[in-house]
Amino acid sequence: MPIPTPVIELRGVTKTYKLGGETLNALDNVSLVIQPGDYVTLTGPSGSGKSTLANIIGGLDQPTSGTVIVDGNDLSQLRDAQLSEYRNHHIGFVFQSFNLQGNNTIVENVMLPLVFSKVGRKARKARAIECLQAVGLGDHLKHTANQLSGGQRQRVAIARALAVRPSIIIADEPTGNLDSAKGKEIMALINDLNTQGITILIITHDQEVARKAKHMIEIRDGKLSEHGA
Amino acid sequence: MHFSDYVILAFRNIWRAKLRSALTIFAVVIGATSVTIMLALVTGAKSFFLDQVQANGTLQQVAISPQQDITNFNDAQHNSGGNCSTNCTKLTDLVVDKVKAIPHVTGVARVAGQGMLAAIAYGNQNLSLNQTTAYDANGIIVNNVLAGRDIQTSDTTGVLTITSDYADKFGFKGNYGGIIGKSVKLLTQDFYSGVGANIQPPQQCNGPCNGNNQPNNKPTTLTGTIVGVIDTSNNSQSVRIPIEWMREMQENQMYQVTPADQAANAAQQAKCQRIAGPCNITQHMTLTTTDMLAQNGYSSLIAKVDNSKNAASVATAVKKLGLGAADAEASIKQQLTIFNVIGLVLGGIGGIALAVAAVGVVNTMVMAILERTREIGVMRAVGAKRSTVRTLFTIEAALLGFWGGVVGIAVGFGLTRIANIFVNKQLVSQGVKAHDIISLPPWLILAVVGIATLIGMLAGLYPAARAAKLNPVEALRYE
Repeated sequence: MPIPTPVIELRGVTKTYKLGGETLNALDNVSLVIQPGDYVTLTGPSGSGKSTLANIIGGLDQPTSGTVIVDGNDLSQLRDAQLSEYRNHHIGFVFQSFNLQGNNTIVENVMLPLVFSKVGRKARKARAIECLQAVGLGDHLKHTANQLSGGQRQRVAIARALAVRPSIIIADEPTGNLDSAKGKEIMALINDLNTQGITILIITHDQEVARKAKHMIEIRDGKLSEHGA
Repeated sequence: MHFSDYVILAFRNIWRAKLRSALTIFAVVIGATSVTIMLALVTGAKSFFLDQVQANGTLQQVAISPQQDITNFNDAQHNSGGNCSTNCTKLTDLVVDKVKAIPHVTGVARVAGQGMLAAIAYGNQNLSLNQTTAYDANGIIVNNVLAGRDIQTSDTTGVLTITSDYADKFGFKGNYGGIIGKSVKLLTQDFYSGVGANIQPPQQCNGPCNGNNQPNNKPTTLTGTIVGVIDTSNNSQSVRIPIEWMREMQENQMYQVTPADQAANAAQQAKCQRIAGPCNITQHMTLTTTDMLAQNGYSSLIAKVDNSKNAASVATAVKKLGLGAADAEASIKQQLTIFNVIGLVLGGIGGIALAVAAVGVVNTMVMAILERTREIGVMRAVGAKRSTVRTLFTIEAALLGFWGGVVGIAVGFGLTRIANIFVNKQLVSQGVKAHDIISLPPWLILAVVGIATLIGMLAGLYPAARAAKLNPVEALRYE
């Protein structure tokens, strides 16, 4: 059986920050392989480096040393503009606080990444509606984000992440601002996306959320320890 | 990202912070309005001046002077003639014909100016008169007639036009029509020997007389009928008369011993010699008239050319005849430069207001970036490049400037319309044709909107650069 090409591969990734005169190791020689269609959770205490790791994989941040290859792109070799394109084409972000434009309609919110990838007006609207229908918001197309409940807003955020047909979705505490019932709905939705072949990387404190993953990676003081689900 | 998407997004963002945007735009409006009004004033004044020049046909004229060294249009035009000795060619009718023969010359107006009339009197008013001008009434020299008519070709003698200044002083202010047809007295200088002069024959002299005599030493009073009141900005103490009357006024009348007189005198003397005793000899003399205008030439000529472009070449051709010549272009250019300088100064004052507005735009944009830091983080996370963020915020600032410019032009337009009503009322009351002295040509509209947009854009560069530099991770964490 052929070995699949990993969708995410980190080799000896170190990220240091300078705070005053001190150097902090947010990530310390991290190596990691994630296969396409995998469902991985990153857990760990605050300040352990899980967000840094997710940001580096998402192309929002770059490592101090080491190699990051995602979807065949060596991220450490990409310039800022290329990283933007990479994020636009390969990654869908879902944030704890949704980060939507409250006064814009949910369709406009979902269209945003497509605006940056120069998709035509009609095509991006059609795609946004398609994504919103996929997350169960087909009846709310004319609503603004502010008119929706927290769970619905997170659905909009997921629809926005889906808009560019990413290969990876990185979700940072996606249920952190939701009650448990809504949280479960969101996790079910994310699970659905994973079954459709999208690689999922979730950062969470919530052990219940973490246990849903195929792989659970724990990170402490910038070092990894992996547990299979 | 498509340009239209930038504009739509920028517009939405401005709309989101309505009050703040409106206040910023208001500052730009003040700047744009003041620039508009100040430039509109200068542009209007300039076009008013140019219209006057066009109406006079000055650009299609070449002023010709007997003095070769005169190269300035106004100097050539106002040359008073007179002595013509060195570097000088008399402007006789023969010369006039030569000028007429120059290609592109469509006509020539002969101008004769003299100061032989010293005063003009109507009723109890006796006013001094500096200049009497006559020229061919062939339409080349155009006057702004306020009442009655200008001198016509059919006029010969006894008619004149006066300036509005005289009409005012004669008591016809606001009723110039009332003085038309009235008769005025024109008092000549001493030693006047032209038409109407009471020239007395010389006193009898004993022995041979050489024929010289003194003309009448006292001023002569001539009578003329006013046919028109004209507006003149310079030389208000002047009258205009037909050229034929001028010719007659310049005539030199004197008693002279003609060959026939000589023969008669000689015959008398011979007769006396034959008679012993007293013998009365009556000196025979005849009153002669010399056309001094024909002899000394006209004081200047105004040649009209078919097209203003040919004025310079005609002037060159005239100079080859040994005359002084100048077209109006140079002097008009000089006067227009003055308008341009005034425009720059006034525009600069308005520009200061715009510069202050630009600071407002910077402030607004910096505030907007602080408020929207997270949003910038999201935009960067979903694929916006640094350049995308920079362009978006620059366009947002430019839009603030653009709207400020548009509203500023609209307000400026309204104010100039109102101002024009008052200015025109004033002009009409002074007998000048109504003219939009404050004008807002399309180029000015485009320029003000363009400059306001550009200033907004420039003011947005720094905040936009700051927005573009934001680290996406930090921006997403921003509370």
